[in-house]
Amino acid sequence: MIDWLAAHAPTLKHWLILSSALFAIGLYGVLARKNAISVLMSIEIMLNSAVFNLIVFNRYIAPKGADGQVFALFVIAVAAAEVVVGLAIFVTLFNRRKTLDVTQVAAMKD
Amino acid sequence: MEENWKCLSELSWLIPGLPLLGFVLVGLGRRWLGEKLSGWLATLLVGGAAGLAVATAWTYFGYFGIGGKGPTVVAWSLPWVSYQELLKVSVGVLIDPLSLMLMVVVTGVSTLVHLYSLGYMAGDSGFSRYFAFLNLFTFSMLGLVIAPNLLQMFVFWELVGASSFFLIGFYYTKPSAVAASKKAFIVTRFADLGFLLGILLLAYYGFLMFQDLDSLQSGAYTSAGLQVLDFEYLTSLAVVNRFMELQGGTVLTVALVLLFMGAAGKSAMFPLHIWLPDAMEGPTPVSALIHAATMVVAGVYLVARLFPLFAGSPSALELVMVVGAFTSLFAASIACTQDDIKRILAFSTLSQLGYMMLALGVASPAFPLGFTASTFHLFTHAFFKALLFLGAGSVIHAVHSNNIWDMGGLAKKMPFTHAFFLIATLAIAGIPPFAGFYSKDEILLAALTSGHTWVFGIGLLVAGLTAFYMFRLYWVTFIRPPSSKAAEHAHESPWLMIVPMNVLAILSVVAGWVHFDDYVNSGFQYMVDHDSRVPLLASGAAVIGIGWSAVLYLGQKVKATAVARAAGALYRLIKRKFYVDEIYQFVTHQVIFRFIASPVAWFDRQVVDGLMNLSAAATRAMGVGLRTLQTGQIQTYSLWFIMGGMLVIFSIWITFYPY
Amino acid sequence: MAVAMSTVFFYLLGALALFFATIVVGSKRIFRGAVALMAVLAATAGFYFLLGAEFLAGIQLLVYVGGVVVLIVFVVMLTGSLGLMEDTPSFGRQVVAGLGALNFFLPVFGVLQFSALPEISHEAVALPGADVIGELLLNFGKSGYVMAFELISVLLLVALIGGLVIARKGGQRREEPT
Repeated sequence: MIDWLAAHAPTLKHWLILSSALFAIGLYGVLARKNAISVLMSIEIMLNSAVFNLIVFNRYIAPKGADGQVFALFVIAVAAAEVVVGLAIFVTLFNRRKTLDVTQVAAMKD
Repeated sequence: MEENWKCLSELSWLIPGLPLLGFVLVGLGRRWLGEKLSGWLATLLVGGAAGLAVATAWTYFGYFGIGGKGPTVVAWSLPWVSYQELLKVSVGVLIDPLSLMLMVVVTGVSTLVHLYSLGYMAGDSGFSRYFAFLNLFTFSMLGLVIAPNLLQMFVFWELVGASSFFLIGFYYTKPSAVAASKKAFIVTRFADLGFLLGILLLAYYGFLMFQDLDSLQSGAYTSAGLQVLDFEYLTSLAVVNRFMELQGGTVLTVALVLLFMGAAGKSAMFPLHIWLPDAMEGPTPVSALIHAATMVVAGVYLVARLFPLFAGSPSALELVMVVGAFTSLFAASIACTQDDIKRILAFSTLSQLGYMMLALGVASPAFPLGFTASTFHLFTHAFFKALLFLGAGSVIHAVHSNNIWDMGGLAKKMPFTHAFFLIATLAIAGIPPFAGFYSKDEILLAALTSGHTWVFGIGLLVAGLTAFYMFRLYWVTFIRPPSSKAAEHAHESPWLMIVPMNVLAILSVVAGWVHFDDYVNSGFQYMVDHDSRVPLLASGAAVIGIGWSAVLYLGQKVKATAVARAAGALYRLIKRKFYVDEIYQFVTHQVIFRFIASPVAWFDRQVVDGLMNLSAAATRAMGVGLRTLQTGQIQTYSLWFIMGGMLVIFSIWITFYPY
Repeated sequence: MAVAMSTVFFYLLGALALFFATIVVGSKRIFRGAVALMAVLAATAGFYFLLGAEFLAGIQLLVYVGGVVVLIVFVVMLTGSLGLMEDTPSFGRQVVAGLGALNFFLPVFGVLQFSALPEISHEAVALPGADVIGELLLNFGKSGYVMAFELISVLLLVALIGGLVIARKGGQRREEPT
């Protein structure tokens, strides 16, 4: 059993497929959801899978270096900043329009 | 003497520099300076330049002596453009007798005209602007005169044209002035095209032979710092000889004809003369300075400057002679029929310029008298023609009309103006001992001794015609009884206008007494056998002209109208200036505009604009179509983005996948 | 043993992550989605552990689970009235979004299947830890990231101030018509 498990240990391909599956789910959320907060959460999933990729590549391509981790750190920091600003916008939007439905917010169209 | 000369030649850049300073100061600071101060400042600076020019001329002839051909000195120069080692152009100050003579004339006449303008333009709303432009003109004319090479001359040549444009169109609210300034600019610009092509031709072949000739003469050119476009290089004997050998002299002839085209444009020679009569729309002192005494002689100056080159091409010289002779006769006959005082003077200027060209044309290395005669006439003509214009300005100032038939009886009302005008009229008519007599006599002598008898005949005829039309003008304006209220109540002009006229009147008398040949000559050796018949014939023709005009215009009834009626069609032809303007009008409007300009305009409007409009319409239609895709929903956009991005990435992968 | 353990954890955590991710994007109630997001992020931290990046796993837990998700929950509470919590996309919308997601996933899956990826040992390797990362971040030599680090600090500050300014109660501003 252990040997079988060891023989079927996840390879780079498995990790990448997992991360792209997570990304695809996030993408679905971004495209489908109408609530702005849900969209933001879906974006977080996508970002997270991208960061995940960086770590995977760090582990499998250059296990001696830490550059992938540093990049991941940066992306996490930027994502945090993005969440802060995004949420602040939502709060303002809600205060003004009493809605968070992104399909209702299309003033930029005209 | 040597110290004086060194000092003055080092300061020679100040001669054009002072008027430039005046232009900058007056042009920029006219609001702070006020009208009176800016006018006087401009006058003083040009006066300073005049003083400097006279002093330079004095020391030059004192230092180098008179009698022979004075040396050419580049007193000051500054590298300007250097294309490669042997192809460089400098700006500088060239001093030789010819340029000195013109420097003195330009600065002198300019100073007097400035002074006169202080009175003439008083109260005009554009007073300081006028003086700024006048200074600009003086600067550019001086830059042209002192140019040591063709390129600098061309630049200032254009600058002179531009300042002339500003000054002709000085009364820019008057449509006729605007049209005249445009006409002058376009016609001279067209001629300058030939000038530029001629420069390019000379520069090209001059450059090709430079190194060869230089090494043949063991580096004489390079050690003297000569450049390809320098007059001194182009007119040196070796270059002229080489040019004469070059394809049998064809290149030289073509280049010189092109250069002469530019000269003819500026000096208003026959087919390109149409701008000068119209240029009289400018203020009268401007006509005196630019369109009589200085700018229009630039063409003569150019030909004189390049005379050794012209001497290498007899056919080019022949063209100069024919054009000059024809223009002088043509313009003199028109001047007999005009009624506008300034236009009469303008056609008289044309005629006299033709005279100068004619004199240059009959000159040759064997008979170089024409060269001196031409420059001598240029010198004297500048004074009496400027005086005539200033006198006309004074009359116009008093009568407020340009038509001579509105004047009359001004001899008593304006005694000073009358006296000065009479002196100038006698001078231009060629009555001894006034200046015009001597220079005209020399021109006629040059034509006769060089064997151009028919040119001599034309010259004699023109001399008679000149006396006729000038005295016609004089009789009608000053002697005949007044024919309008304004003429009856005319007053003498202020002293600011009288003084410059007085100075010019003195010069119009004494300028002819100079033995000019000692100062300015072509450098070719020659012997003159003075023919005592020539002065007799010349003054005889003048007296006959004066007599005829007195008969026709001095009686109670003007008999000229009867003569005009008898001449019929010929008179009308001349009166309408041989319909040259109409021919130009026809050619430009009916031929060029209709067959070249309007098809181009049609093509532009229909095809070029049509294509533009079509693309605009297509963009618009696409926009309307794409508008439905613009939902304003970020999610829709991101869907398209994902689809497109994946398409791109997938196609890249497919392309580069290592099968 | 460790390799076998990692295999087990990979599939277990992978299944968990995918499951909670579908809840995030699919649940009607946003609050539930936020909690599921926390689980997804935590599972990702587990992945980091499996990959040997313990420091990153800690950061992930701290920043995402402890920071971002809590922030989201706050905002959900702030803007929360029950009607707004409901989010039911129409069927057509779901189909289009699903197609968009598949359009991403299937090509990537295909590419990964047909690509010759480097086969590297699956032995558990400990990636360089916080010490090395810290050195890299503050190293201004050839391979250092101090410039990016400083920029990120400024970005965070800007985001902080920007968030404050945007979300500030704009009392003086006129209410816009909805």
